[in-house]
Amino acid sequence: MGSMRVLLVEDEVEIQAFLKKPLADAGYDVDAAEDGRTAVMLASQNTYDGLIVDLGLPDVDGIDLILQLRKRGVASPVLILSARRSLDDRVKGLEQGGDDYLTKPFAVAELLARLRNLMRRNPVPVENLTRLRILDLELDFIKRRATRGGEVLNLSPQEFVLLEYLCRHAGRVVTRSMLLAEVWGMRIQPDTNVVDVHIYRLRGKIDTAGRVPLIKTLRGIGYVLRGD
Amino acid sequence: MSSGVTRRAANPIMQSAAWRISLWASLAFAIGTMLVFAMLHQFVANDIQRRTDAWLSGEVEVLADVAERTPKDHLYSAVVGEVAELASKEVPNRQRSTEAEDHPSAAELNDSVFFLQTADNGSARLWVGSGDGATNLAAIRASKALPDVPYDVTVKGFSFPFRVATVRIADGSYVYLGLSERDELRVLRSLRVRFLALWFVIVLLGFVIVFYATRRMLGHVRDITEAASGIGQADLSSRVPTTSRNDEVGHLARTLNHMLDRIESAMNQLHTITDSLAHDLRSPLTAVRGKLEVVLSGDVRAEQIDPIVSAIDELDRLTEFLNTSLDVAEAKADALRMSPTEIDIDELLRVMIDLYEPCLSEKGISVQLRSAGTVHVVADAALLHRVVANLLDNEAKHLPASCTVVLGLRSEDGFAELVVEDNGPGFDDAIGAQIFEQRAKGRESKGHGLGLAFVAAVVRAHGGDVAAANRPEGGARLSVTLPLAAQRKTENSLLLVNG
Repeated sequence: MGSMRVLLVEDEVEIQAFLKKPLADAGYDVDAAEDGRTAVMLASQNTYDGLIVDLGLPDVDGIDLILQLRKRGVASPVLILSARRSLDDRVKGLEQGGDDYLTKPFAVAELLARLRNLMRRNPVPVENLTRLRILDLELDFIKRRATRGGEVLNLSPQEFVLLEYLCRHAGRVVTRSMLLAEVWGMRIQPDTNVVDVHIYRLRGKIDTAGRVPLIKTLRGIGYVLRGD
Repeated sequence: MSSGVTRRAANPIMQSAAWRISLWASLAFAIGTMLVFAMLHQFVANDIQRRTDAWLSGEVEVLADVAERTPKDHLYSAVVGEVAELASKEVPNRQRSTEAEDHPSAAELNDSVFFLQTADNGSARLWVGSGDGATNLAAIRASKALPDVPYDVTVKGFSFPFRVATVRIADGSYVYLGLSERDELRVLRSLRVRFLALWFVIVLLGFVIVFYATRRMLGHVRDITEAASGIGQADLSSRVPTTSRNDEVGHLARTLNHMLDRIESAMNQLHTITDSLAHDLRSPLTAVRGKLEVVLSGDVRAEQIDPIVSAIDELDRLTEFLNTSLDVAEAKADALRMSPTEIDIDELLRVMIDLYEPCLSEKGISVQLRSAGTVHVVADAALLHRVVANLLDNEAKHLPASCTVVLGLRSEDGFAELVVEDNGPGFDDAIGAQIFEQRAKGRESKGHGLGLAFVAAVVRAHGGDVAAANRPEGGARLSVTLPLAAQRKTENSLLLVNG
């Protein structure tokens, strides 16, 4: 399997420049376009596994560009970048259609995490799992029970949901805003370290002394649960 | 507020402006027509009186003449009586009532007309009429009227007064001709009855016409009001309905629409400014943050990690500050872009407490929820989440250890009230009422002083209110009220009924 191809549509050269490297490091082939016209041209010549589209393009509105590409049969998932403060309903519509969005400024790690989620969404039917095993951590989704090394972990229902989310995204970075949105269903940016404390507590129950630590903190970015 | 709603609900029509206008208009109309009628009545009564008097005076002259010329023999009374009876058949204002058919004409005639001639000594000499005439004579004697003009005499035993004309003839006797005012009064009474019946119908009809006309007119005003109240913060693009007519209501609608045009363009300008400000600041922020992250992910010496991470943190705080400042500015200008949905605050609080409890208990703060169950409001979910989060952030940041936060939720008078109480040190006296102002913060506070300003702005944009006070028993008390979801529906339906 060859590497994934990504089209980055962003008019700010600075942002384009610093995004290219981490995307390349993450194993993507990156093509970049600075305006909508180039983007349409590139997208019709090549097939991309994913698109990153900034809404504020010089020649065309980002959403119109996406709709235009969809009409031309480009079905790849789109990660929308927006510097607008509030998202209009059309973005919400796209979000419901399976695409995702990220407001500027964003953490590069979050962009990578969301892009990976987007591009994996289709082929991976993780949702149907009834059990999940990472090293000696085992989650039983039917009994809503977690064990580590055969020992039952005493988790609250909320902690189980949090651990489940981390496990389903094992090996990938999850940011605080992703956790808030997916586990608690809120798009808020608390001033306080509410999410961190949840993670500390969860870690206190899972990564007990003498075991291999599973949850790793990436400062300023988020968390990652060790993959296999 | 709720009492007003109940009163309106009790009788919406009688509370409407159309009802009051119709009442006043009908009252004025009724009084006016009544006055006109009173004048007309007076005129008719006078005219009848004048005719009666003219007839009486003429007849009494004739009778006096006859009485004077007829020889005073045994035929005298027969002749004069005959003439008197003949004369009385031409009584003016005669009513051909059913009575006339029931009784012989003479009896009826005698009932309404009498002829009396007195001798010089005052005793009755000749009497034509019903009864023996004694009472009539007594009544005439009793009245001290001038002999030249007809006058009113009330006779015992008769319910209607008589109009009496007198002539003194040469032999010193008096001739009296009396005509009952019964028919005259009956004509007037029938006039009054007919008028009153007609008057009543006309006034009622006038009331109904005025009521429906005003109601129709005010219906346009109500449509405008409804449309205008529907043009909320989220939607400024719609306009109130206009009519082609060039009256006050049409003018009102057009003026409102012009005003909305101006507000919309001002609002769009504000959005453009905040958007471009946000955009212009965010793009460089994104670039800076990205570069720092790239550095962080490369080969960095251990001692360099901390400054870079803290720089990223600072950038995030700056971004958050920028976002919240612009949100507060927009909310204060009532220009927040909202997509309201129905939200159960009770459920939201439970999730929020679940989210914040570990963080609070880490700081030694305990949190309780006092709620009687579901309380629905219509609000923008994301904004309401941030409101509650800000309230809890505020407690988490400012409350010392071993304090308790109590979240109370209840619905009252059509409003949901969320109360956040603690037993901490309370607000600085210096801040007091300004706690919800932008940039207001305690001396010790490390925040940017926007959290509660955001709460106040968003809550007010949703039609609610905020209040802050220090509790008498110590600690702070913040309260947030929001209109209940059901209440909005009821109010709208009442407006529709209210006309």
